[in-house]
Amino acid sequence: MKERIIELLTNALPMVNLESDFLFSELDSLGVTTILMLLSEEYGITLEAKDATPKNLKTIDSIIRMVEEKLGRNA
Amino acid sequence: MLTLEEHIEHFAKLTPNKAAVIWGNETLSYSSLWKRIQEKANLLKGEGLSEGKSHVFISKQNADFIVTYCATHHCGGICVPLESSTPKERQQQIREEVNGKCLNGECSDILYTTGTTGKAKGVMISAKAWNANAENLIDRLGFTHDLLFIVCGPLNHLGSLSKIYPTLMTGGTLYIMESLKDLNAFFSVFELPFTKFATFLVPSSIRMLLQIASKNLAAVASKIDFIETGAAAISQSDMESLCKILPHSRLFNTYASTETGIICSYEFSKYGCEPGLLGKPMKHSSVRINEEGRVVCSGQTIMTGYVGAPELTAQVLRGGEIYTSDIGNIDENGMLHLLGRQDDVINVGGYKVNPSEVEEAVSSFPLVADCICIPSQHILLGTVPKLLYVSKQDKEVKPKDIADFLKGRIENYKIPLLYESVDAIKHTYNGKLDRKAYQKN
Repeated sequence: MKERIIELLTNALPMVNLESDFLFSELDSLGVTTILMLLSEEYGITLEAKDATPKNLKTIDSIIRMVEEKLGRNA
Repeated sequence: MLTLEEHIEHFAKLTPNKAAVIWGNETLSYSSLWKRIQEKANLLKGEGLSEGKSHVFISKQNADFIVTYCATHHCGGICVPLESSTPKERQQQIREEVNGKCLNGECSDILYTTGTTGKAKGVMISAKAWNANAENLIDRLGFTHDLLFIVCGPLNHLGSLSKIYPTLMTGGTLYIMESLKDLNAFFSVFELPFTKFATFLVPSSIRMLLQIASKNLAAVASKIDFIETGAAAISQSDMESLCKILPHSRLFNTYASTETGIICSYEFSKYGCEPGLLGKPMKHSSVRINEEGRVVCSGQTIMTGYVGAPELTAQVLRGGEIYTSDIGNIDENGMLHLLGRQDDVINVGGYKVNPSEVEEAVSSFPLVADCICIPSQHILLGTVPKLLYVSKQDKEVKPKDIADFLKGRIENYKIPLLYESVDAIKHTYNGKLDRKAYQKN
């Protein structure tokens, strides 16, 4: 999953350093929305504004945890 | 004509404890704001700021901006607020460009923009123009003392800066946000004890809210007095969706630019959703269409000129009229309809990007042999810059490498969001980039 998410986000947000430990601070509002929309579509989950917290978007690993949690809830 | 500072001083006496500016968990009352402005003005005077001198500073999204902005004017100085991502070399160029060039008393601010001519330059705006902009907005949009206006765009741009005036001139309250990135923070503003909220959102921000936050928006619908959009085209479907979610709010589409000031606004929630329809001119503004179909604006809101560039100024400002690059028409009701642009400038959510500047910056990237920057459609942002590029000697060049290279060389909003590696770039017979060949991309 990690490779796929990195591939998706690298293509969509080429300016963002996805390896950052402070990913949320690197994003602008478009970046946040792009992540939510791309991952919602890719994994068939619903990510909304309430999911766009600094904690959920802190690192690529925290993004993966958010997706896994949503997938778990949907299962 | 009272200045913005004099309005703040007035409300500091009339309603001293009322919140003037809120950001994060902090609040400045009118009396505290006025005190901070006076203190900062003394500091700036001590540093040598005086009548007609420019004060270049990096724009911050908090009350410091308001304090510095008003204090500079209080000293008689000229504000030159810059985007935080402005490269240092460019900052120095701007300092040299504005130094001592604006002493005619017709300039209170210099805002840097790509704007009408496609080249980055400083637009001089007078205090009189700011007042006319404010009166236009108060009259058409209805700013009042009990309103909390949320600023979530950059304060060094007309879209947000122009809202400071009508809000503080009517004794209202400003809420300043860094951006719309933290939507939870945005919606938490509506929990503050105010009865009327308003904001300015570019069309891409409206689309973003509709895509991922429509439930949150519906939940605060009864509190939203009005939303103004502008700076770029908003789609009919987004206008209609917004009207459905906010059935009791007033929704405006405004025509403005740094050079023209705020010219027209159309209440699409009341009169119907039609893309490109921008309404009648406001009280201090006039608009006409010239023989080429270009939108020509006049009135008290227009700029004084481009700093240090009389020839460029003469290309755009003639006989008290601004000749924009926008193509439009005026209907039988006197309403302005915008149809497109006449030049190559790419309008990215209100930010104007000159593709030549992007191509020039990319040309110094050692692994790219040729490139062209063209407008392309993004699902959220609408129009964005896309870079088509040819790699040198078949070496693989990743978009991220180019984007990283451009950081610090040009402002962030100018860096292309979309990339495509191609075998060749089309040129005209005389070697120029063939932009027309890519117009349908």
